[in-house]
Amino acid sequence: MGEQAAEKPKAKEVMKRLTKDYYGGALRAHDEGKFVAYTTAVSPVELFYAHDIIPIYPENHAVMCLTGRMMPRLSLEIEKRGYTSHLCAYARSDLGYRALQESPIGGIPDPDFLLACNAQCFTLTKWFQVLSRRYGVPVFVFDTPQYIRKDEARKNIIQYVEHQLAEMIKALEELTGRKFDHDRLREVLGYSAEASKLYKEFLDLASIKPSPISIFDALIHMAITVYLRGTKEAVDYYRLLIEEIKEEKVSKGIGVIPNERFRLYWENLPIWFKFRDHFDFLAAHNAVILTSLYTHAWSYDFDVSNPIRTLAENYTSVFSNVELEERAERALTLFRQYSLNGNIMFLNRSCKAVTFGVFELKDMLTKETGIPALVFESDMGDPRFYSEVQIRTRLEAYLETLDRMGVG
Amino acid sequence: MNRRVLEELLAIARDPYPKLRAWKKGGERKIIGSTLADVPEELIHAAGMLPFTILGTNKPILRANTHLPDNACSQARSDLELVLTYQGDLFDGYVLPQVDDTTQHLADIWRRNASWDYFERFLLPRQVDRPSARQWLLDETLRLKRSLESFTGKEITEGKLWESIGFYNQGRQQLRLLYEMKSRHPDFITNREFFDLIKSSMWWPKEEHNCLLDTFISSIEETDLEDKGGEGIRVILSGIVWEPPEIMDILDESALKVVGDDLCTGWRYIDPDVEANGDPLRAIVDRHFKKGPFTPIYDKGNRIFENLLNLVTRNRAEGIIYLHINFNESQDYDLPDLIDNMEREGVPIFVVETEYQTTHLTGVRTRIQAFGESLAQK
Repeated sequence: MGEQAAEKPKAKEVMKRLTKDYYGGALRAHDEGKFVAYTTAVSPVELFYAHDIIPIYPENHAVMCLTGRMMPRLSLEIEKRGYTSHLCAYARSDLGYRALQESPIGGIPDPDFLLACNAQCFTLTKWFQVLSRRYGVPVFVFDTPQYIRKDEARKNIIQYVEHQLAEMIKALEELTGRKFDHDRLREVLGYSAEASKLYKEFLDLASIKPSPISIFDALIHMAITVYLRGTKEAVDYYRLLIEEIKEEKVSKGIGVIPNERFRLYWENLPIWFKFRDHFDFLAAHNAVILTSLYTHAWSYDFDVSNPIRTLAENYTSVFSNVELEERAERALTLFRQYSLNGNIMFLNRSCKAVTFGVFELKDMLTKETGIPALVFESDMGDPRFYSEVQIRTRLEAYLETLDRMGVG
Repeated sequence: MNRRVLEELLAIARDPYPKLRAWKKGGERKIIGSTLADVPEELIHAAGMLPFTILGTNKPILRANTHLPDNACSQARSDLELVLTYQGDLFDGYVLPQVDDTTQHLADIWRRNASWDYFERFLLPRQVDRPSARQWLLDETLRLKRSLESFTGKEITEGKLWESIGFYNQGRQQLRLLYEMKSRHPDFITNREFFDLIKSSMWWPKEEHNCLLDTFISSIEETDLEDKGGEGIRVILSGIVWEPPEIMDILDESALKVVGDDLCTGWRYIDPDVEANGDPLRAIVDRHFKKGPFTPIYDKGNRIFENLLNLVTRNRAEGIIYLHINFNESQDYDLPDLIDNMEREGVPIFVVETEYQTTHLTGVRTRIQAFGESLAQK
């Protein structure tokens, strides 16, 4: 008889457990004498983990509200209070949650500190200022100037951001009364570096034909690197996930859809309340969205030998903070690497930061790839601004266009 | 008072372009356009060029819509339209700041689509409550200086820069003097006239503008300052810009006298001065950190709200008129708490929803008049 090998857990179950533990820990934090910091999804969260502060992402909680289709109710509540419906869906969802105290996960703890990095967008800093006033806690605006392509500017920008990291460390020391441990930062950064590398390896599975994953898998599994980046758990998770996908799909040549023909790029954030529907609809037309610059925003490339420098460089150079030409180049790299043959560009009324340059990007990408783009307008979280019939019709027409062009 | 000189200045404010074209023909003269806010004009002036603050256009939008999403604010849209359709050939180049998502991404679109010989970004700090911002602004100001020198082929010497600072300080002092006179004697100049003077100063060569203003100020007599039949209602104007310009006319018609403001095209442009000591670049940077609050730029605590309350108290104002540009996110996030704050302090506040290219102001007129009447009854 020998011992039975312990069954390897499934990534999905591990994710559920990690998420439950993360939020559970956050809700207990104050009782356990710990501090809770609200932070933005692109931010040097490593400083929090190194200083034993629990980072919470209001954006992440907002996504849960949006996928749970809670948006109209949450937004209407704060529209009554004077906030307009064209503000970021994440912000509206979050402020609506605070007004109604309705949450799909029982809520998130109140903050002791707010970190708002504007590399993703400036709107986050205004949203967090509202929260700062509400809770009477400080907000640290982590300012990352647009990473323009001028050597002198870039050198100065990195110095400025490094200076701000030092200021943030001081602020955390003042908040907690404890000295910051730079050795611990190195350790945490080591986990971030490894997790980011593995996350990218996971995303790059979409370059395989047929692809074993779609962007919807990326959007689900991205959560762990967003909120557990800096932990060993994130590293272990992505290792397990990659192994599982390789074993169950890649080794058997199984694609995420049966008859993959149209391999699509998606520009912008997803329409959170529709992504299952979109996956099914596109799959029925032999199409699958494989990637986006958005999901790649967390494929950092950290150099652990210089923690402060590498944090500054990585968090400043995210796709939403570079010039349009550089953004186009990064997208084109994905087109080539992933053998993409279609392009869906979503004008997200909730996100000016990513949407503003879409018309220019469309021209650049179409010119370089010869692939026409479908451009349509909606909102990433608010079903009141989603026209089912119109968008389906346009998607169908677009795929017919690709078909007539002999694509795929 | 010398109304001929006043009218000459107002004509610049109402349509600067024909005169600027004539001015340009007069010699080797370059015009550098900037959007709001806070590009250091003294530096561009010291480089031998005319800095011009682009404040959009109220003419029809013909091309900008093909480059921008529907929810781009009308200020950004009309700024881009101005240079793509109406006056692009007037400008030799641009220095575009970054204050929010719109201005950040607009700059890329502008760079790719407008015609220019010179294009530079000026990446202002979007937080001003920590020491890092000061060094960053100094580095960025130095970078702009070098960039301007590279374009013109001429050094911006300390002497030239101090001279330019002198002109700009003088212009600011003149306008502040007029503002003080207006606050004490609200009848002597209309809201529209006064704020048009500030506009004209953002558009005309500073040395000449200073001379014209000086002539006007010197011509003001005691009789011009006499009360002409009612002090009207003293109000503070809050927001970023006052557009369309007819809004000022409506305030005048409603006997609402603006005695203070926090606009980028108002008090924030004319205060404070650059202090004349030490290194001129540092002095320009120091001035930046003494300016009034600006909604996209984060400062300590609730500075915008505190500043507004101070303005009301200091100027004995009876209420606030807040000019809210549609689709301006900074203002959108500020407004609910700002209104709550003012109401808690017992300060009446009225929000005017506005945008460039607005042609129908009847509803706005009626509501502003009603607000004025409600203040008069208190």
